[in-house]
Amino acid sequence: MSPFELNTTIANLRDLRASDLSDYDGVYLGDIYCRLYEANFLEQLGDLKEGLHILHEDGKKAYVATYAAPRNDFLPKVRKILEASSAAGAEAVEIHNLGILRIAHEEFPELPVHVGGFANIYTAAGAEVLRGFGAVRFTPNYELSLDEIHEITTTCGAPLELLLHGKMPLGISDYCFLLEYEEKWGVKCPDLCQKELFLKQGDWAMKSLGKGILSGKDVCMLEHLPRLLAEGHRHFRIEAVSESPEYRREVAAVYHTALDRTLAGDGDVNEGSWETLRRHARIGLCNGFYFGRSGMDYQGLRPEALGSLPTISRMES
Amino acid sequence: MAVPVLLAPAGTPEAVRAALDAGADAVYVGLEGWSRGGARRELSWDELVVAQSEVASAGRSLQVALNTIPKPEERARLFDRIPALLDLGIRDVIVNDIGTLAALRRRFEDLRLTASIGCGAQTVADVAFFQDLGAHAVVLPGTVSPAEMREIRTVRGISVEIMVHMVEEFVLLGSCWMPSYVHLKPSPLPNAFPSEAEGPGETPEGALRGLRQTGSVKRGGVGPCFRICQQPWELFASGRRAGTQFFPSRQISRIAEVEAYAEAGVDVLKLQGRSLPVELLSPLVRRYREAIDARTTPAAFEARWAALPTAWTVVGR
Repeated sequence: MSPFELNTTIANLRDLRASDLSDYDGVYLGDIYCRLYEANFLEQLGDLKEGLHILHEDGKKAYVATYAAPRNDFLPKVRKILEASSAAGAEAVEIHNLGILRIAHEEFPELPVHVGGFANIYTAAGAEVLRGFGAVRFTPNYELSLDEIHEITTTCGAPLELLLHGKMPLGISDYCFLLEYEEKWGVKCPDLCQKELFLKQGDWAMKSLGKGILSGKDVCMLEHLPRLLAEGHRHFRIEAVSESPEYRREVAAVYHTALDRTLAGDGDVNEGSWETLRRHARIGLCNGFYFGRSGMDYQGLRPEALGSLPTISRMES
Repeated sequence: MAVPVLLAPAGTPEAVRAALDAGADAVYVGLEGWSRGGARRELSWDELVVAQSEVASAGRSLQVALNTIPKPEERARLFDRIPALLDLGIRDVIVNDIGTLAALRRRFEDLRLTASIGCGAQTVADVAFFQDLGAHAVVLPGTVSPAEMREIRTVRGISVEIMVHMVEEFVLLGSCWMPSYVHLKPSPLPNAFPSEAEGPGETPEGALRGLRQTGSVKRGGVGPCFRICQQPWELFASGRRAGTQFFPSRQISRIAEVEAYAEAGVDVLKLQGRSLPVELLSPLVRRYREAIDARTTPAAFEARWAALPTAWTVVGR
């Protein structure tokens, strides 16, 4: 049994089948942002059951994500997702929305719940409240520093799941502005957000999924694995919902190897690993939130080597 | 059918008086250092004392927004000051964090706690969650329709407020950390309560200074949201520039649906705009007062009267 868990997100059956998951221990199925996302597991319950079966056959932990910002009319579908997840033996569901958490707790108490990053867990007190609703694992809000996260860990006692690498969720909308481009591009929904879309403004950028906003830079904690492990963290996410199968495979291989080596007492990371991460990061790397700084800053020794200079915020005087 | 309460914003003592004169049943204000400030103005303790006196004399009620997400040390400091609020006769407090809400519920039975719009409630299940948590009220955004509200009102034992006049920004309230992704740094924690009048740094509490994170919408500080989303973006699709994109943002004025919300069972009609000057606030409150009192056909009202200058949607709320 692996001493740590490395997991990721996959939105649909096509991407699941195309992905080499050998370096992952678990997968969250489904796109949390949009019901119209192409062949979203959360809308195609037959696909969801098949996806859960594939993961179990492959010896992976099979998790199911849920919508981050639902409306009333989502809830019947959410109940079916939870029902299907329970019936298929999903190891847990990831819940960002407090109402869905209540539904899961009341109606599907057998389903373990992982609380997602949009649930706004900023303190141990918040986590404690949600433990009362059956939550067993938490992704703290992405703004938190490692010191603040450590405070939650030591106070709350429940395991936290941290974003180790990939594009960090920054926001979610009710509205997809990409629909404005259907005519101009001659591309219809749901193909619009399958394009690689970046929004740039001056010295910073974000990745767009239509209703979802992600960081343009990839969060990168490769240099900081010794600290994460020393502080007791064992559950790590590579956020790759909008990435290619190559990204999923190669980034996971880098981290799996690095985690194994760090646990064996060797914290050095070879140059080939850095080259892999640099190649996959379109805009650059960041990890500032974990160190109490702006999210798009990078703390560590490697930014120059990666071509991602530390950002001096425009707002800072 | 009960008549909804009209809850108006005020960012200054003058605005409190203007809101009362215009017919608000209740007024909400921010307390300096403990509410999400920025473009929204906050009252000092002395101003709060005067405001409470005036509101109580008029037979209305005052709500105080304490809607940052305090760190554990800040939380203890805040809780120590709650009795001072109760001594003033203020029982209604708006909070933005489930941990804070649950703890206040346990410690101060006399408080009436409202889950802020920043808590992200949008569904019948969300409202049920906050009812379970012990909130007396929950605020929903004006994007929730009267039809959705009818379903939501099937949850008993909690007051439901709707922000009928607000700016709908692209990213959902409570689900955005774009500003801190660009800019985050520690900032001083202002003195707000009377016992904090001494200078900073010398007292044990002085050590708490620097706790806030300027740039974090959720955690307060000076200028927490600088509307990075309102700037023009360059959209790149598959590496090629596709155009300039603004995130959609609109002002919601649901004055024409006051009757429909009342029929749906909404308890409180809330107006956004602690940043509004008196000359804009007065006609806005008066117009909604007339709409509530008339209870005639929506067409009888000229909704444009309640519309604010376009700039307001960009500058603050």
